[in-house]
Parts: sequence; structure tokens; C-alpha cells
Amino acid sequence: MDLRTTLAVSGYAGAKPGTEPAASQTGGNAADMAKSFTETMRESEEVAVQAMTGDADPQALVQALAETQLAVETAVTIRDRVVEAYQEILRMPV
Amino acid sequence: MTNLIETLSIASSGMQAQSERLRFISENIANEDTPGYRRKLATFEEVIRGGEGTGMVRSGPVELDQSDLARTFSPGHPMADQTGYYDGSNVNLVVEVADAREAQRSYEANLRVFDQARQMSQNLLEILKR
Repeated sequence: MDLRTTLAVSGYAGAKPGTEPAASQTGGNAADMAKSFTETMRESEEVAVQAMTGDADPQALVQALAETQLAVETAVTIRDRVVEAYQEILRMPV
Repeated sequence: MTNLIETLSIASSGMQAQSERLRFISENIANEDTPGYRRKLATFEEVIRGGEGTGMVRSGPVELDQSDLARTFSPGHPMADQTGYYDGSNVNLVVEVADAREAQRSYEANLRVFDQARQMSQNLLEILKR
């Protein structure tokens, strides 16, 4: 009986890493996304200023604004989903 | 998603090139009566980055139309030669107007592609929101 429990525990411990996400990969992707998001925002602000001072073309401004809109919408949507999931966990009866 | 974003910049480069073409056309029309003026031709080339084609377009070096200049008989003109003729420009208004219309259509096509790519990515995000 004792032997079996030990086996089960060691087997569980052996199988557990499989359930963990590959931490570095997920973290890297999220960091990359956040970085490219801020990059997009910064670029569009630059282009907007340039367009106002006459250095950039209106096409470049429209393109930068469209890209920023998409980036912001993506970020907001992902945040909404994350917050929703978190609240779902909070509502769980313990 | 990156494909759609790239489509945005490619379509934007197309619009940029077409607006430059329209600028050359306006220069040609403005200089229709300038003696010795040769009409400018807009050229297009693909943008190469890192030895690879990006699919984006930009306007290349300006070329001048080498066809014969229109010769007008006007002995009193200050630029007239011994025979009484002087060189006008080789701009043909009908050609320029047709070229301008072509630039407009190309611009519209790029604009439609731009709008379509934007809408496609927005529709994709709509799924996430539900």
C-alpha cells in the first residue's frame, strides 16, 4: 500500500511539468506584443506630428492611424478577455 | 494579422506613388506652353529591402519624353530661329488628362485594398469581442 502511494506521488510529480506552460515562450510573446504595441503608438504619433508640419504624406498618416486603431483594439479586446476570465475565477464558489 | 498590416503599408505605398504621378501630370499641364519643355514620365519600381522584394512600390527616376517638340511658326517670337519657327513643348493635353484619369483609378484601387484589409482585420477582432 505504502509503495503504491509513493509510486503515484512520483508519477504525478513526473507528469506535472507537462501541464505547465513553456514560461519563457509565453512571456516572450507577450513582451514582444506589448513592445510592438508601444512601437506602433510611438510611430503613429511621430507621423501625425510630421503630417501636421507638412513633412509626411496624408497616406502615411492614414496608414499609421489605421495601424494604431487596430493595435489599440487588439490590446483592449485582449485586456477585456483577461479581466473577464479573472472575474470568472473570483466568482467561483469555494 | 501581419499579412493584413503589410497590405496596409503596400496599399499606402501605391497611393503615394500614384499621387506622385499625378504631380508630374500637373507639372506637364502647367508647362504646356513653355517653349522647349519635354513632358515628364513617372516611372515605378519595386522597393527592395535587404536584397528581397517587399511588394511595395515607389516612383523611380524621372524620364523625359524624347519625342519631337511641337514647332510653331512665329517669326516675331523672341525664341524663333532663322526660319521663323520656335520649339514649343511636346505636351499633349488629351494624353495628360487620360493619364490623370488612370492615376485616379489606380489610386482608388489601392484605397479599396487598404479599406478592405482594414475591415478584414476589424472583423477578425469582432470575433474576440463576443
